Amino acid sequence: MADTGTKAQGLANMASARYGVYQKSDQWAGQTVGELRRKLAGLWQLPAEAVAFKDKQELSNDHVIQPGDHIEFSRRHGEKG
Amino acid sequence: MTDPRRFVVVGAGGTGGHLIRGLAPMLEYGLQGSVLVIVDGDSFEPSNAERQDFTDMGNKAVVRAVELQPRYPNTFIVPDERWVVAESPKQQDDDPDNPSTEVGVHDLLVEGDVVYAVVDNFATRKLLFDAARDYQNIDIFSGGNDDNLFGSTYHYQRRDGRDVSDHPGDYHPEFVDPPDRNPGEMSCQERAKIESSTQLLATNMAVAALLLARTHKVILKKEEDAETEIMFDLGLGLSQAYNRRVDALANTNS
Repeated sequence: MADTGTKAQGLANMASARYGVYQKSDQWAGQTVGELRRKLAGLWQLPAEAVAFKDKQELSNDHVIQPGDHIEFSRRHGEKG
Repeated sequence: MTDPRRFVVVGAGGTGGHLIRGLAPMLEYGLQGSVLVIVDGDSFEPSNAERQDFTDMGNKAVVRAVELQPRYPNTFIVPDERWVVAESPKQQDDDPDNPSTEVGVHDLLVEGDVVYAVVDNFATRKLLFDAARDYQNIDIFSGGNDDNLFGSTYHYQRRDGRDVSDHPGDYHPEFVDPPDRNPGEMSCQERAKIESSTQLLATNMAVAALLLARTHKVILKKEEDAETEIMFDLGLGLSQAYNRRVDALANTNS
């Protein structure tokens, strides 16, 4: 029988992240931006210097992710024309 | 039909060349009587032929204009051979044999312009986007790619003195503190030392296509949409659209 309580708690811990062409949602609430950065670094080739922000506000690596947060890591705009 | 407007393409190289070739017929048949200003202080070199299609040697803006004007007689195609800089050089004695090689950004742009920053550096992009804040109604597009298969476009729009979309500096530190220099601010010797990049034709074309698509949708058809920034990777076959409109819900992107 499905554990609806666990399932509901999982959904409540959901947050999303974006970097360039990548986007993902997962149960990241309660973790820090720094922890998220380390998890995504290899998968997304996320550079250490990529600024993290939410609602145009820069986030430190110590920031604790809240449920429903949409975290964006700044991907450098294409430079050449 | 929508009223004609003035379109200013800054950068007539790889991406700019494809953009201009698509923009000219779009204006000829969709916005007759429009003006297409092509701005570039650089000249074609034989090494450009790998990625850029040009009909003659010489200044890029002039070569493009000479090529296209006969084919699009109802569009005023105007070459500007100068580098865009912060302030125009002080007027000296008029010397037609020694014209200025720089134009101040506020001497280049006028109210209502649609501007494309398809240059090779962030310094010039920042110059154009920052200058746009001084205009009541203006559209500034930026399109660029890296040396591989990643590219992106950004559309900054102002109407009646207010931002419709956010300035790109709100999301991209390179538009606030550029890691490079504007070639227009360099000496000839410094410009000559700039190493040419190893870009790919496909990525140049893809950036130009996205800029043309958004021009068609937002400028010609006057449709509102949320995809103010688009990032793509041709190698991965992935793209993401970002909603940078000022009225977007916090981080709710399309």
